[in-house]
Amino acid sequence: MTHDLGGVGLGPYLTVSAILLVLGVFGIFLNRKNIIIILMSMELILLSANLNFVAFSSALGDLSGQVFTLFVLTIAAAEAAIGLAIVTVFFRNRGSIQVEDVTMMKG
Amino acid sequence: MNWIIAFPELVLTLCGLVILTVGVVQKKSTNPFAACSMLTIAAFAITGFLVTVSPDGSGYEHVFVNDGFARFMKVLSLIGGALATIMTLSYRGTSGGGRFELPVLILFSTIGTMLMASSDNMMTLFVGLELSSLAIYILCAFDRDSVVSSESGLKYFILGSLASGLLLYGISLTYGYGGTMEYGAIRTVLIQSGGASLGLMLGIVFLIAGLAFKLSAVPFHMWTPDVYQGAPTPVTAYLAGAPKIATFALILRIMAGPFGALAPQWQLLIEMISVLSMVFGSLAAIPQTNIKRLMAYSSIGHMGYALMGLAAATPGGIRGTLVYLTTYLFMNVGVFAGIAAMRRKGHETTDIADLSGLGRTSPGLALMMAIFMFSMLGMPPTAGFFGKLMVFSAAYGAGLYGLLAIGAITSAIGAYYYLRIVKVMYFDASAPAFDTRSPSLAFLSVSMGIVTALFVLVLGPVTSAAQAAASALIG
Amino acid sequence: MHDVIASYFPVLVFGVIAVGIAGAMLGGSLLAGHQKPYAEKTSAYECGFEAFDDARRRFDVRFYLVAILFIIFDLEVAFLFPWAVSLSHVGLFGFLSMLGFLGMLTVGFIYEWCKGALDWD
Repeated sequence: MTHDLGGVGLGPYLTVSAILLVLGVFGIFLNRKNIIIILMSMELILLSANLNFVAFSSALGDLSGQVFTLFVLTIAAAEAAIGLAIVTVFFRNRGSIQVEDVTMMKG
Repeated sequence: MNWIIAFPELVLTLCGLVILTVGVVQKKSTNPFAACSMLTIAAFAITGFLVTVSPDGSGYEHVFVNDGFARFMKVLSLIGGALATIMTLSYRGTSGGGRFELPVLILFSTIGTMLMASSDNMMTLFVGLELSSLAIYILCAFDRDSVVSSESGLKYFILGSLASGLLLYGISLTYGYGGTMEYGAIRTVLIQSGGASLGLMLGIVFLIAGLAFKLSAVPFHMWTPDVYQGAPTPVTAYLAGAPKIATFALILRIMAGPFGALAPQWQLLIEMISVLSMVFGSLAAIPQTNIKRLMAYSSIGHMGYALMGLAAATPGGIRGTLVYLTTYLFMNVGVFAGIAAMRRKGHETTDIADLSGLGRTSPGLALMMAIFMFSMLGMPPTAGFFGKLMVFSAAYGAGLYGLLAIGAITSAIGAYYYLRIVKVMYFDASAPAFDTRSPSLAFLSVSMGIVTALFVLVLGPVTSAAQAAASALIG
Repeated sequence: MHDVIASYFPVLVFGVIAVGIAGAMLGGSLLAGHQKPYAEKTSAYECGFEAFDDARRRFDVRFYLVAILFIIFDLEVAFLFPWAVSLSHVGLFGFLSMLGFLGMLTVGFIYEWCKGALDWD
C-alpha cells in the first residue's frame, strides 16, 4: 500500500461500497412499487463499484482504476438513458410503471 | 501505436455511423429500411474478410489483443450478426414497416461482441459487454407498439444491468486484490503468489455470475424465457447467437488466461453451473406450449453442454466448446427463421400447436424444422451430433464421468420434446396453412438446413480452425 | 484515525452554526409574524398571472427526453478534460482518437436533430 488514503485506510471505503452494493441489490429485489426506484438502485450498484475502483486505485498508486471510473460513469449515463426510454415505451403500452404490472408473460 | 490491430472494428464502426447517417437524412416518403439492411450485411461481409486477414498482436496499453482465438470468435459473431440482419429483411413490427435502426443496432451490438472477443484487460471486457448489451436492450423493446416486446425489453434491461453491476463489482475486487486489470499481469501475480486471496476469489465468483447471466446459465437464467418470447423474432435469433458466443469468448479467455492457475478452484463451479443448466433446460422445456419459450429453455440446456468443454479445462475441451458453438449458431438461426415464417394473415403465431400438419401444408419448411430438431438433440450425422461428441469426449478425457452421465441423461430427456415437435408436424391433423414465406426467410431456413445436415463436409476445416484457436488460448 | 476526525471539526462547527441561524430565522418569523393566510396568498406563484393549477402535477415526458439527451452529451465531455491536460503526452494518435470520438458524438447529434428530438412540438 503506497498511499494511506487520508489516514483512514482501505477498510472504511470498502465497507461503504459494500453497503451501497447491498442497498442497491435489495432495492431491486425487495421493491414492489415503482420501476424508477429500480433504476436508482442500479446507479447505486455501479457507484459502489466506482468507489471501490477509486479507493483501490489510490491505495495501489495505479491510475488505471480511475480511468475505468470515467468509462463506468459514461456507461451508467447511457444505461440510465436507455432504461428511461424503455420505461417510457412500456408506460405508453401498459399505462402503468408499477412493478406488479410487469406480468404479461409467465410460465 | 498502430491502427492495424483493431482495423476491422474501426471499419465496422465507421460503416455503422455512415449507415446511421444515410438512414436518418432520407426524405420522409422513402423508407430506408431495406437499403440500410443491405448496407449492414455488406459491412459485415467486408469486416469478416478483414478479420480473417488481420495480423496477430496486442496493443493500446494492453487493452486489446488479436490472436487466432479472437479471430475465430469474431468471425462467428459476424456470421451471427449477418444472419440476423438477413432475417430482419422480412420483419414487420406490429404497426407495419421496418425501421432502419434495427440493422444499425445489430451492427453496433456486433462491434461490442468483437471487442469482447479481443479483450486483454478488464476494461475492454466491461466496455465491450455493455456496448453489446445496451444495443440489445433497445432491440428487445424494438416493437414499440407491442406490450410484450416492451415488457421483454424492460425485464432484460433490469436483470441485465443488475448482472453488469455485479460483474463490475467483481472486476473492482479483482483489480484491488490482484493489483492490476491486465490479463497477463494478473496471471503473473497469481502464479507468483501461488494462490488467490479471499477478496480475489470473491471477485472471480462475481465475475462468473455476471458472465453466466449473459449466457443464461442456471441459476442466472430467469430472464431467458420471457425475453425470448417477447422480443421480435429476428432479435431473439440474434440474442441467442452472437452475444452468447462473445460471452463464451470472454469466459474462456479469462478462465484459461489470468485465472488458469486457479483451475482446480473454478472447475467445480463451472461443473455445477453446467449440470444445473443441462438438467433445468431439459426438464423445464417439457410442459411448454409456446415454441419461442421452448427454444429459450433449449438454449439454457445448450449452454450447459457448451460449458462442459470449459469444465474439462483442456485444449481439447475448449476446441469442443468452439465447435459446439459453431454448430449451435447455425441450427439456432435456422430454427428462428422457421419460427419467423409462422405467420397467418400477417400475424405471428408462436404456439407449438400451430405447427400441426406442417408436413402436409408446407413440406419444405417442415423438413427443415425436422433437420434442426434432430440436430438440436444431437442425432448423427447432423451438425449437433459432432458438437456434442467433442464436448462429451473432452469431459471423458478429463475424467468428469458424473458430468458425462448427466449430459447423456438430459440429452435423452431433450429428445422427448424435440421429437414431439417433429411428431406434431408430421402426424397431427392439419392446421390452416401459413402465409407464403418471404424470400429472405426461405433462403435462411434452406441454407441453414443444408449447413446443418451436411456439416460433416466442413467438419475438418472447422475443427482445425477451432484447434488453432484453442491452442492460441492455452498454448 | 483520531486525527482525521479531528480535522473535520470545523465542518461540524459550520453545520451547527448554519442550522442555528436558519432555525432562528424560521422560528422567529413563525413566532413574531402575523399569520393571515388566504387563497390568493397560498396559491403557487406564477409570474404575472393567476396560477392555472397545482404545481405538483405530472411533467410532460418531453422534459425527460431533453434531460436524457443532455446527460448523454454532458457526460461524454468528461473524457475531454483528461485528454486536454495530457495532450502533450498522448501525441498525434491521442489527438486523432479524440477527433474520432467527437465525430461519433456529432453523428449522434445529427441523428437526434434529424429525428426531431430537439423540436418541442
